[in-house]
Amino acid sequence: MSKPSGTNLALGAWTTLVFLFLFAPIIVIGIYSFNGGRLLTAWDGFSLEPFTAIIERPTVRHTVAVSLQTAVIAALLASALGTLAGMAMARFPGRWTGPFTLLLLLVSVTPEIVDGIALLPWFVTLGQDWSLLPFNNGYVRLVIGHSLFATAVVTYIVRARLVGLDASLEEASADLYARPVPTFFKVTLPLVGPAVLAGGLLAFTLSLDNTVISSFINVSGTTSWPVYVLSSVRSGLKPEIAAVSTILLVFTLLVLGFVAWVLRRSGSSVTDTMAVN
Amino acid sequence: MPRNGSSRLPGFVLAVPAWLWLTVFFVVPFLQIAWFSFGEKPGMFGTHSNAVMSLDRYAEAFSPTFFTIFRATLWMSVLGTVACLLIALPAAYFMAVKVPAHRRGLLVALVMVPYWTSFLIRTIGWKVILSSEGALAGFLTDVGLVGDPHDLLNTRGAVLLGLIYNYLPLMILPLYVAFDRVDGALGEASKDLGADRVRTFFQVTLPLARPGMIAGVILVFIPMTGDYVTPAVLGGAKGTMVGSLIASQFLTAQNWALGSAMAVVLILLTMLVVVLAVALLWGVGWLVGRRSRLVIGTKTSGRKELATT
Amino acid sequence: MSNPGDTNRNVRILASHAGARAIRQELSRRHFLSLAALAGAGAALSACGTGGGGGGEAAVEPGAGATGGPVEKSLSIYTWGDYDSPEVIDAFGKTGPKVTLDSYGSNEELISKLVAAKGTSGYDIVVPTGVYIPQLIENEIIVPLNKDLIPNLAKVDPKFLGQDWDPENEYSVCKCWGTTGFVYDTTVIKRDLATWDDFIDAMQNEASGKTSLLDDPQGVAGLYFWANDIDWNTEDMADYDAYEAEAVEKWAPHIAGFDSYPATGAMQQNTFALMQNWNGDSRLGILEHKQPDRWKWVLPGPTTELWMDNWCIPTGAPHPEAAHAFLDYVLEPENSFLEMDYIGYNTGALGIEEMAKERKVELPEMIFFTDEQLATMKNGAVNKAQDRRTEVYDKLKAAASA
Repeated sequence: MSKPSGTNLALGAWTTLVFLFLFAPIIVIGIYSFNGGRLLTAWDGFSLEPFTAIIERPTVRHTVAVSLQTAVIAALLASALGTLAGMAMARFPGRWTGPFTLLLLLVSVTPEIVDGIALLPWFVTLGQDWSLLPFNNGYVRLVIGHSLFATAVVTYIVRARLVGLDASLEEASADLYARPVPTFFKVTLPLVGPAVLAGGLLAFTLSLDNTVISSFINVSGTTSWPVYVLSSVRSGLKPEIAAVSTILLVFTLLVLGFVAWVLRRSGSSVTDTMAVN
Repeated sequence: MPRNGSSRLPGFVLAVPAWLWLTVFFVVPFLQIAWFSFGEKPGMFGTHSNAVMSLDRYAEAFSPTFFTIFRATLWMSVLGTVACLLIALPAAYFMAVKVPAHRRGLLVALVMVPYWTSFLIRTIGWKVILSSEGALAGFLTDVGLVGDPHDLLNTRGAVLLGLIYNYLPLMILPLYVAFDRVDGALGEASKDLGADRVRTFFQVTLPLARPGMIAGVILVFIPMTGDYVTPAVLGGAKGTMVGSLIASQFLTAQNWALGSAMAVVLILLTMLVVVLAVALLWGVGWLVGRRSRLVIGTKTSGRKELATT
Repeated sequence: MSNPGDTNRNVRILASHAGARAIRQELSRRHFLSLAALAGAGAALSACGTGGGGGGEAAVEPGAGATGGPVEKSLSIYTWGDYDSPEVIDAFGKTGPKVTLDSYGSNEELISKLVAAKGTSGYDIVVPTGVYIPQLIENEIIVPLNKDLIPNLAKVDPKFLGQDWDPENEYSVCKCWGTTGFVYDTTVIKRDLATWDDFIDAMQNEASGKTSLLDDPQGVAGLYFWANDIDWNTEDMADYDAYEAEAVEKWAPHIAGFDSYPATGAMQQNTFALMQNWNGDSRLGILEHKQPDRWKWVLPGPTTELWMDNWCIPTGAPHPEAAHAFLDYVLEPENSFLEMDYIGYNTGALGIEEMAKERKVELPEMIFFTDEQLATMKNGAVNKAQDRRTEVYDKLKAAASA
């Protein structure tokens, strides 16, 4: 890659600052998760109590599990739908792209509370009036609710990657196979790898963080973590809530570190691996 | 690229699942909301009724209050989006081009990690950082950047910070993806042709990253206009966004008819702004693109030419 | 999230605001008709019609079909997050039913959910704030309780039974209640504040730019009406015009935030100097603050609110026996005390104040109030003025953000 230079140093410093900015509030929360007091933001000495409290509180663990499961499924679903749609938009534009873009725009512009209010009666109609039982399931509802904006996000990113990207590879392939579908799976799909990864990560993140839609559509037994946090404000947020974030953060960092280590040992780069998928 | 009838059909088919999914789970329920907006709130305990159809709710939605707050929201969102773009551009470029390939995936994931906890918790983290008792306030007061340690929280600046923080990843990732594909070869070609690094960046890399920039701007700007919780938590009374008006109709007043009408108005206005902005961006980009084409001559469309060098 | 509820304590029944009473009567009538229709259809003809209601509707089968039969294996409670003592929940769980807790963040969220589910939400117990109960009854979202199965009702202080929204407690029992007052920073405001007028004055002087109001249109309107000793459930639009003029022109430039939980959050960093606040939030905030002596809580006069969250059973509750068993369990004073101790709001059990004193609960004066203080607290109501309240509130917010 590039040799160190003034510009590169400046860019590196800037990027470091950006990461500091991204992590700043989480670090603060990490510190406050060792708060022995009763309130999250009122420091009252170092203690491990918030962490032991989690062990005694099945509700907290359950809500985190609900959030994680939902986020994985919603991210996979949105990635699949969005990748296909984004590739189609970039590679096969036609009369349909206008209305489709409008639809995506509409999905992104609609405030979450409107989605939530609109989806709830619709799920009830589907699940109870029409007896389509899956729609009574809290996980199904959450996944659907979270997948809407996420699908639009993945589509935008995948499309942005492909538009204007040199199509010669695909053309060459098209010449060889003379069929567009195999070309898609063997050539275009690997090309969009980084976009799918980025989009999928965003979808996962958006789902984990979704509060407004979730609070309207969840059913008994599927309260998600952000909904639990928001509803706990009434009796004062406790340090346990920070402790959960800290555990999640440490766990995530460990997993990421492990993945990086494995990839390095196996000699392949992360990006290459993604591209293969 | 060959564009004949036979390749258009399968292309369209790829978008069908997303299309169907969004139609069933977005368009249909959304139409219901749009339908509510022509109705009214029936009595004290009802939320919506379409027994009497009228445009009255729209007349109510177009209130001076709505426009005052909408203008402020729009302004904050524009500032926030521009700030996100400026902050994210160098970082995304660095991550996609300068960082060794095997570390890039890790960095991309790291961008997201802080968001894997509830927004409320992150916002509380910021409140602690910005509080008048905090180290930051003390430092800024000492160096004279702010007059009173209370001047950090509950200000427009805090609102902006909250917005930037919440949406920065939605800008970094599309830009990263866009720069990643421009990476390497094309820039080298430009350099071979005698363009210096800065010129290469502005005349080759940046124009090619344009789709990513547009995606990022849309992804950041749109949800920003609808956000209202974080701005209110950090900005206090200064952080009232138009989304909170809609929420208060649905939640407090329980007037779904008026809330729906406000939502429709907000959606239409936001789309109008987006369409105008994208048109503007494309226009500017087109001009820039034209210039770069003039400068580096015929070598613009990528690897095919490269193969010949 | 808000909630007002209230009654003029001493003259509880007589003083029901005229509007509230009219609503109640209409509701009872409609409700009776609809239930009668149900009964006629043979759906609810269970023999034990003795249960109920205490009122003219005793013939209606109460309690979602609970007759004191065997308690079901599970119980699903939908309530505010972290609102119940884990000790009580665990102990009840040991008696049989497996308890699932789900949380919501606002009454409206709860109501939308229950309305949309049409009796299939799967919840056995919900905890709405009192003012919303007429709406829940009217839409048949909650069912009458079978009071025969809740003998511990007798251990609830009668002062906290028979509120405006449910005078006979046919549908609801007090879970806990609180009031609205304010807290101020004595290092910033060096004089004594005692009334809502003082609050408004300090907001425009010492605490300008450091004052927070409740994030609740009703509570903010209350501030004006309580200060001026006007019934805060007024439906006279002229009152709202006067309120709008004062709030938008005089208050707006001084408000720093709209926050329903300022003491347990922002106050810990001394962000605000003057906060309109619920007593439980203030109490916890002061207790946990590094310098508790810096803060002073005021229950201001001339009047203020009394809000109450209530145990109710939603229509279609799948485990009505377990729900009644839980209500009876939680109303047992010993358990009620644990609940009170956990959340810091009075649960209304008889003798709980004495227990609290004996066991040295901190700052009891912010949980328990004298009869004179109670006499100044009034229930709120959801009424015709709701739209107007929201409108003024939005205007105030717009003006304050400028």
